[in-house]
Amino acid sequence: MTMMSKTNIIGVYDDPDVLVSAIKKVKESGIKIKNVFSPFPIHEVFEVLGLKTRIPYMTFMYGVFGVLITYAFLYWTSVISYPLKFGGKPLNSLSFIIILFVMTINIATFLTFMTFFIRQKLGPGKKVVMIEPASVDDKFVITVEKDKDMTAEEAGKIKKILQEAGAIDVKEKEEPEGYITEEND
Amino acid sequence: MYNSRIRGVLVEGNKSYHQITEDVLKPLEAKRPPTWWYIAIFVSIAMIIFGLWAMYTTVSIGIGTWGVNNNVAWGFGIINFVWWIGIGHAGTAFSIFLLILRQKWRTSINRAAEAMTVVAVICAGLFPMLHMGRIWNAFFILPYWNTRGPLWDNFNSPLFWDVVAISTYLMASAVFWYIGMIPDFATIREKTTSKVKKAVYGALSFGWVGTARGWLRFETAALMIGGLAAPLVVSVHSIVAMDFATSVIPGWHTTIFPPYFVVGAIFSGFGMVLTLMIIVRRVFKYQEYVTKGHLDAIARILTFISLIMATAYSTEFFVAWYSGAEYEMFTFMKNRVTGEYTIAFWTMITCNAIIPQLFWFKKIRTNITIVFIISIFINIGMWFERYVIVVTSLSKDFLPSSWASYTASTVEVAIFIGTLGIFIFGVLLFFRYIPMIAISEIKGINKETSWTNNDNDE
Repeated sequence: MTMMSKTNIIGVYDDPDVLVSAIKKVKESGIKIKNVFSPFPIHEVFEVLGLKTRIPYMTFMYGVFGVLITYAFLYWTSVISYPLKFGGKPLNSLSFIIILFVMTINIATFLTFMTFFIRQKLGPGKKVVMIEPASVDDKFVITVEKDKDMTAEEAGKIKKILQEAGAIDVKEKEEPEGYITEEND
Repeated sequence: MYNSRIRGVLVEGNKSYHQITEDVLKPLEAKRPPTWWYIAIFVSIAMIIFGLWAMYTTVSIGIGTWGVNNNVAWGFGIINFVWWIGIGHAGTAFSIFLLILRQKWRTSINRAAEAMTVVAVICAGLFPMLHMGRIWNAFFILPYWNTRGPLWDNFNSPLFWDVVAISTYLMASAVFWYIGMIPDFATIREKTTSKVKKAVYGALSFGWVGTARGWLRFETAALMIGGLAAPLVVSVHSIVAMDFATSVIPGWHTTIFPPYFVVGAIFSGFGMVLTLMIIVRRVFKYQEYVTKGHLDAIARILTFISLIMATAYSTEFFVAWYSGAEYEMFTFMKNRVTGEYTIAFWTMITCNAIIPQLFWFKKIRTNITIVFIISIFINIGMWFERYVIVVTSLSKDFLPSSWASYTASTVEVAIFIGTLGIFIFGVLLFFRYIPMIAISEIKGINKETSWTNNDNDE
């Protein structure tokens, strides 16, 4: 058997509010949305799709990690490794707080930045696979995966719903290789 | 919810999303940059070469080529360092404070302000390195495992705090700037017809495609980094202020220094943003994006900060008098208000506390030429503020037998001109190769705030 390439049904919209109502309609009719593409972030889309992210919790953990590792380093260098008194200050000095403050921000910022790229699987040299290039300019796109056992009638129904929700264009496209596979539900 | 009927539109001209892409990318897509760009880049390179000569002289001969002496050990090096760091506060103050406050008008200015920040902080970083004299030993400042004990840095020294704070600041603002540019690089990647540009911007865009989940993570990560960097804005200049305030020199040894420096930094940063944005909107015809309303908003902020500056100056005088410290009083009354450096002092007062007060008048706020001139005055005034602080206090301290004057040498001036060249060079490259306005952010606020025929704001 030859390799089955997947096909996606895509609906193209030209207004963010129409997009949001279209997503609602598609979801109401029980169709599973694969991906939504837009040229800018739209909060209603996140809400309607029920998307959540754990990045804020991660940032908090990185901050805690930053404080602990920095304090451990300061304590070890100043009290254990080479205890040297100066300025009449205690070895374990309160003025460490400044380095702690800055290094917490430093570590948490950098790790949050890296987390974003790792979670989103972004990086230099990543192959770009866009299903509708206009979606980084002025178009808003909903994609629905066409199952291989989906009848033409069912596909037609999906297309009709996308169309009736205000799409300016509805088409079928073969899924390009390396297409993002993240789930949206 | 933004109500454009009350607050006016943010982007004029009912721009469609596609038009925004076209407008912002126009200077990048031009086959050749305009003639003035070549002239400016030529001038900036000449300035950089002049600066490089001075840096070479400093490193090869030594700090003796500077005008600094045993008493006034901090001259142009530290003045310019603090000045550049101040300018470097614009980006973060703009993007991050206004991001957290959810001010939508920041969207057309933040990219340029952040670019300025990154270049200005790089310029600033050069000065303390050169000021060390033996630049090849600069790595001593890093707490690395060494064979001398290992002997560690003094973690209670403001100079070490400075190194940590400024490198963190540079990293955080560069990271924040870059994250914001990723979607715009993707837009260029899909739009351009040139193969080279497609490859370069494609690599820079990190394979961004703009899925809903991607946007959610993007926004959250930007907000988190912004939230972390906001206290950093306050801490960086506080730490720079502690370089001064933790000493016992009259005129420096005051608790007002950290907040006073932070406010001054934001003041000079906003001043520089105003200067730059007026040039950008005129030269690249971005008047519909950076509207008079935007400039008006910056001018209003500057008026307020100028008042805080005036309060800080008066507080210093009050404390000098009220504390009964005669050395403090001498520094302020005999060595600033009157005396050798009186011109620098009064320039500072005039440019920072008096001239910006003209912004109270609407006629002046809406006259772009005058706003531009005032913004230049603010930049000059803030430079003189650092001059007054650094030089006057050091030149005449407790012991009259060790009093000394300070005049900058050619080498010091040349290094300053060199960093100005680096700044102009960096900004020109930014004009040519990076979208000056955050495309995705402008699009995000466009419908809500700028379509006059929308029925959204009812």
